[in-house]
Amino acid sequence: MTELNWNQKVNRMKPIYVLLSGLTLATLAGGCASSGVKNPSGVNVTEMRPDERGFVAGTGVESQDIVAVTDKMARGLLGLEPIATAKTPPYIVLEPVVNETRFPINKDIFLTRMQTQLASKSGGRMRFLARDRLAALLKERDAKRAGQFTTDTDPNIQEFKGADYLLTGKLQSLTTKTGAGTSDYVLYTFQLIDARTSVIVWAGDHEIKKQGLEDAAYR
Amino acid sequence: MRRAIFPLILGLAAFWLAGCATERTVPLKLTGDPIVDGENAITNGPARDRVLWEYRTALAAMRRGQFDLAKRHLDDAIARISSVYGKDAAARKSRGTFSAEAKKTFLGEPYERVMAWYLRAILYWRDGEPDNARACFRSGQLADSDTENKAWASDYVLLDYLDGYVTEKLGGDGADAIKRASRAAQQWKPPTFRTNANVLVFIDYGSGPAKFATGSYAEQLRFRPQPSHSRNALARAAGTTGKAVPYDDLLFQATTRGGRVMDHVLANKAVFKSATDTFGNVALITGAALTTHRETEVAGLATMGAGLIGKIFSSAANPAADIRAWDNLPQFLSFVALELPPGSQTLTVDFLDDAGRILGGQSRVVTFDVPAGGRDKVIYVSDKSTTPQSQ
Repeated sequence: MTELNWNQKVNRMKPIYVLLSGLTLATLAGGCASSGVKNPSGVNVTEMRPDERGFVAGTGVESQDIVAVTDKMARGLLGLEPIATAKTPPYIVLEPVVNETRFPINKDIFLTRMQTQLASKSGGRMRFLARDRLAALLKERDAKRAGQFTTDTDPNIQEFKGADYLLTGKLQSLTTKTGAGTSDYVLYTFQLIDARTSVIVWAGDHEIKKQGLEDAAYR
Repeated sequence: MRRAIFPLILGLAAFWLAGCATERTVPLKLTGDPIVDGENAITNGPARDRVLWEYRTALAAMRRGQFDLAKRHLDDAIARISSVYGKDAAARKSRGTFSAEAKKTFLGEPYERVMAWYLRAILYWRDGEPDNARACFRSGQLADSDTENKAWASDYVLLDYLDGYVTEKLGGDGADAIKRASRAAQQWKPPTFRTNANVLVFIDYGSGPAKFATGSYAEQLRFRPQPSHSRNALARAAGTTGKAVPYDDLLFQATTRGGRVMDHVLANKAVFKSATDTFGNVALITGAALTTHRETEVAGLATMGAGLIGKIFSSAANPAADIRAWDNLPQFLSFVALELPPGSQTLTVDFLDDAGRILGGQSRVVTFDVPAGGRDKVIYVSDKSTTPQSQ
């Protein structure tokens, strides 16, 4: 058997080198690929419309939900017959929304937006009473009555208006969480109640369902 | 060519190791003050640990009566843990074979996430927003759902009990919630709702579970108890005493969830590490044997090279479990509802050992004003709270 010199051995082994080098590079590249980070420098501040879904999202109550719900409710109220045909604009008081969901929220945000929508679009057909400012209003009136502040009218006359209607709402939710993800259904209901008779003269609702699944690293 | 092959392989390996090396982080200078250190870590520490430090700092702030600070940190942490759906670069990286699990953004194990919701609920209730507190209790209970085999899912006694308590306070029916709480109770059944109680005392004590990693490559996450003498508590005010029994035990909660999805990922990483190590050993030995014969000398060198690569891959694979932990958590959670007259009051909380003896020097004193008009006064006391304290 003829003994092979080094170059002959290398030539015979060439396919092995090629294969080995290829495998090595492919594996190394594959290993490092897992450490790639999307947007390593962050993302610039992006101005978005409040009614569009952003790229940072959960399954809870978000701005687009508030906009959708309050727009729908405001439209419903504006078309309401007792308000549209009332000879004098009715006075409405906003009552705090009841939150029965699993999401802690600023409950007043719904009614605040509905109030501004209704006030701006109703053309004066509805008027709202600032009961949430009652403490400050009473303090002001008492100071006028005590002569601490000036007034053009008799401060002893009761001029705070009574409400014709109460506008209130409730948020309820149903949640499911399994290995397939988290699903949250939220039902928003609002009512306009006649303050004299307790009759519910209008009710509207809106439903939103969202689902999501966390990365396996967090499960 | 023979001279070139080893430098080539080693050069590639070095290049790869350098590319995948752990990022450099400047170590945080700790002062020993949990709030100063926490604020510093939140601002200057790695972004992936931000939620962890927010948890720790918030709890430390609550124990000092700095509730606004606690609120700020908990709100930020909860906003983060509530919006982790979909693609997450850090999480994807942590699942990679060559990255540690601790590369992911820390959100905490379920018992840690539950505690973020629980503490935020206390703060909402304290601010006169019981329905938002109830929302937090519900989200907390949800964070404990989806356990392996569905055993011990959503089984925090206080979360259901307080959900029902708020519902009753708001004029609803909390009967279902107290039934769930009673079913989940191990040793201590919660009492019936005292809706006329106007002072609600949240008490926690003991030291929460510590995390450690076990397994051949530290790929298995485990929990162990931390030493603590507090096993029970009594709350006294204006001649009234309430038993602050341990309704919930965080060690029990941490250890009864079963495996995580991530445990399977780590197990696969461990298999890869083990397999490449074995391959490396076999290839090195076989290659060495082949090099002893002139005809197979080159094949032997190539085999040794492959073995070396296997060893490098094995050493670079990182199946280590993430043992970052919210390390100032209590072990036991309790709640006492008292009915006290309006005006200035002093609450003393005594902590008891296993034998029911009061632990000397551990009692905590809180002074507060009970509001007139039926609004609830919410007090938070821990065996690690500063004392005396005004709330």
